Amino acid sequence: MKQLLQKWGKGFGIYVALMIVFPFVMPDEYYRSVGIIIGLHAIVTIGLCLVMGLAGQISLGQAAFWGIGAYTSAVLTTKYGLSPFVGLIASAIVPGLFAFILGRAIAGLQGYYLAMATLAFGYIVQIGITEWEPVTGGASGMISIPQVPFFGGSELSMYYLIWAVVTCVLLFSLNLLHSRVGRAFRAIHKSEIAATSMGIDVSKFKLNAFVVSGMFAGISGGLYAHYMGILDPQPFGLHESIKFLTMVVIGGMTSIWGALIGTVLIGFISEGLILLSEVIPGLQGDVDTIVFGGILVLIVMFMPEGLVPRIRSVYEKAQAKKAKEAAVKAQSGERVERKAAT
Amino acid sequence: MTELLQYVANGLVSGGIYAIVAVGFITIYNVSKVINLAQGEFLMLGGMVTVALIGMNLPYGLAALLAILAVTAIGIIMQKYVIDYVKKASPISLIILTIGISTLIRGIASFIWGKDAFALEPITSNEPLSFGGVTIATQSVWILAAVLIILFLLWYLMEKTILGKKINACSVNPMAARLMGISPTKMSMLAFAISGATGAVAGIVIAPLSVTSYDIGVLLGIKGFSAAILGGLGNPLGAAVAAFLLGIVESLGAGYVSSGMKDAIAFLVLIGMLLVKPSGLFGERSVGKGGL
Repeated sequence: MKQLLQKWGKGFGIYVALMIVFPFVMPDEYYRSVGIIIGLHAIVTIGLCLVMGLAGQISLGQAAFWGIGAYTSAVLTTKYGLSPFVGLIASAIVPGLFAFILGRAIAGLQGYYLAMATLAFGYIVQIGITEWEPVTGGASGMISIPQVPFFGGSELSMYYLIWAVVTCVLLFSLNLLHSRVGRAFRAIHKSEIAATSMGIDVSKFKLNAFVVSGMFAGISGGLYAHYMGILDPQPFGLHESIKFLTMVVIGGMTSIWGALIGTVLIGFISEGLILLSEVIPGLQGDVDTIVFGGILVLIVMFMPEGLVPRIRSVYEKAQAKKAKEAAVKAQSGERVERKAAT
Repeated sequence: MTELLQYVANGLVSGGIYAIVAVGFITIYNVSKVINLAQGEFLMLGGMVTVALIGMNLPYGLAALLAILAVTAIGIIMQKYVIDYVKKASPISLIILTIGISTLIRGIASFIWGKDAFALEPITSNEPLSFGGVTIATQSVWILAAVLIILFLLWYLMEKTILGKKINACSVNPMAARLMGISPTKMSMLAFAISGATGAVAGIVIAPLSVTSYDIGVLLGIKGFSAAILGGLGNPLGAAVAAFLLGIVESLGAGYVSSGMKDAIAFLVLIGMLLVKPSGLFGERSVGKGGL
C-alpha cells in the first residue's frame, strides 16, 4: 500500500483533489448528477478492465451484471422492506454468483466464442428481467425504491458516497495490479501457455477476474437503483455494454487509470452530445452510438493500446530524451572546462 | 398437429434467414479468420436502403438491385480500408473493431432514417397461402426460394469453380496461396462482397414479413452467428442445417412456452451448446492455422 502511494502519489493526489472539488466547481445539481452517473459507470469499467486488460478476456454482457445488481437491491428493499445496506451487499453477492456460474461454464471458451456467450447472457438477462413480471415489474419497471440513508441522502452526499466506492474499487484494483496476482494476470495476458508453465493456474485467475468484475458491476447497479429510485429493464442491454466497452477501450485496456479516465471522457462526450442535440434541431436517432462506434473503430485502427498507455509512453520517451540531452550537455561542458584548463 | 406444423413452417422461414447470415459469417471467417460482427447490419441496410429508394419513386426491382450493390460496396470498403488495415490484430481487437463498425452503421442508420419502423410491400401478393390448415404468407415462399438459391449458388461457387478453389486455398494456407499467385487480400475482399450481397438480399426479402428498422440487424446477426457456432464454425453446410433447426426450436418455444421468451430460447440453446460441445453439432472443419 505504501509502495503504491509512493508510485502513484502524484496522480492519486490529483484524482482525490479533483473528485472532492468537482461538486463545488459545478454547483449545479445537474452536473452533480452527471458526476454520480460517471462514478457509477467507473465502478463497472474498472471491473471490466480487470477482465479485459488483465485476464485478456472479453465481456459483452457487463450491463447484465449491472442490471442483476440493480434489481436485486431494488426487489429486496421494496418488496421485502430490507435496509438498503443489506440490499447493496446482496447486490454484490448475487451478480458475483451469476458471474461464478457463467465463468465456470465458459471457462474453456476464448475469443469469439467468449464474446458470443457473454453477449447471449446479456440478452437472456434483459429478457428475463422483462418477462419475470411478478417480481421485477416487467417492462414498466419498479418505482419508489428507497434511497440510501447516507447523510440525509442529498445529491451531494450521494456523490461522495459513490465516489468513495469508486476510490475503494480503484485502490483495490491498483493494489491487485502490483501484487503477485497482478503479475500473474499480466503473464496470462501476454501468453497463457508461458503463464501455465510458470505454475500459474490460468483458469482460476480468469474466473476470479470475472467474478470480481461481476461484483463491481453489481454494487454499481445497486447504488444506481437506490439513486434513481425507479428502474426499468431498458438500460441493461447491449447499448450499455457497448458503452462500457468503449470506455475501457478508449482509456486503454491494460490500465486501470485508463478505465477511469475513459469513463470520465465518455461521460462528458455523452453530455456534450445531449447539449448539441438541443442546439441543432435536426439531430435525430442515436448520435451517441455513431460516436461510440467511431471511437471503437479508430482506436483499434490507430491506437490499439489506448489513450493512457500511449500518453505514458510518449511522456516516458520525452523524459528519456531530456535526460539524454542533459547528459550530452554535461559531457560537452566538461570537455570545454578541460580545454580551458589546458 | 396443424399447430405443430404451423410452428415448424414459421420456424423454417426465420431459420432460412439465419442460414444466410450464418453462411455470410463463415464465408468471411474461412478466408480471413475474422468474425464480422457487423453481418447483421448488412441485412438492415439491405431492407432500409430499398425502402428509402422506393420512397424516391424508383421501381421495386431497381431499388432492390441498387440496395444490393450499395451493401456489397460497403462490404468491400469495410474490408479494404478497415479490416485489412489491422491485419495483425488479436482476436479481441478484431471483435472490438467489428462491434465498433456495427455500432457505427447502426448509429448512422438511426441518424438518417430515424427510429421508426418501415414496411416494405411484399414482392407479389399479400394473400396468405394455405396447405392443409397451415397458412403461410406468400412472402415466406419468396424467402425460402431466395435462401435456397443463395445457398445453392454459394455451394456451386465454392465447390465447382476455380474462384471457389482459390478462396478455399486462401483459407487452407494463405502463404502457399500467395505463392500460387492468388492474392489473399483480394479473396478476402471477395468474401466481404459476397456476405454483403447475400445479407442485403436476406434483408430485402424479410422486410415485407416483419417491419424493418435501424436496429433489426443486431438480433438477426447474433442469431445467425449462433447458428454458425451451433453448426460448427467453418462448416457452411452444417451452419445452414443448424440455422433451420434453430429457427424451428425458437418457433416451437415461442408457441408452446412463451412468446416473450422467444429470443432467450435461441440464446439458451447457444450457451448450452457452447457448454456441451463448443465445436458445434457438425464440428469445426478446421481449415488452416490462425483460427480461434
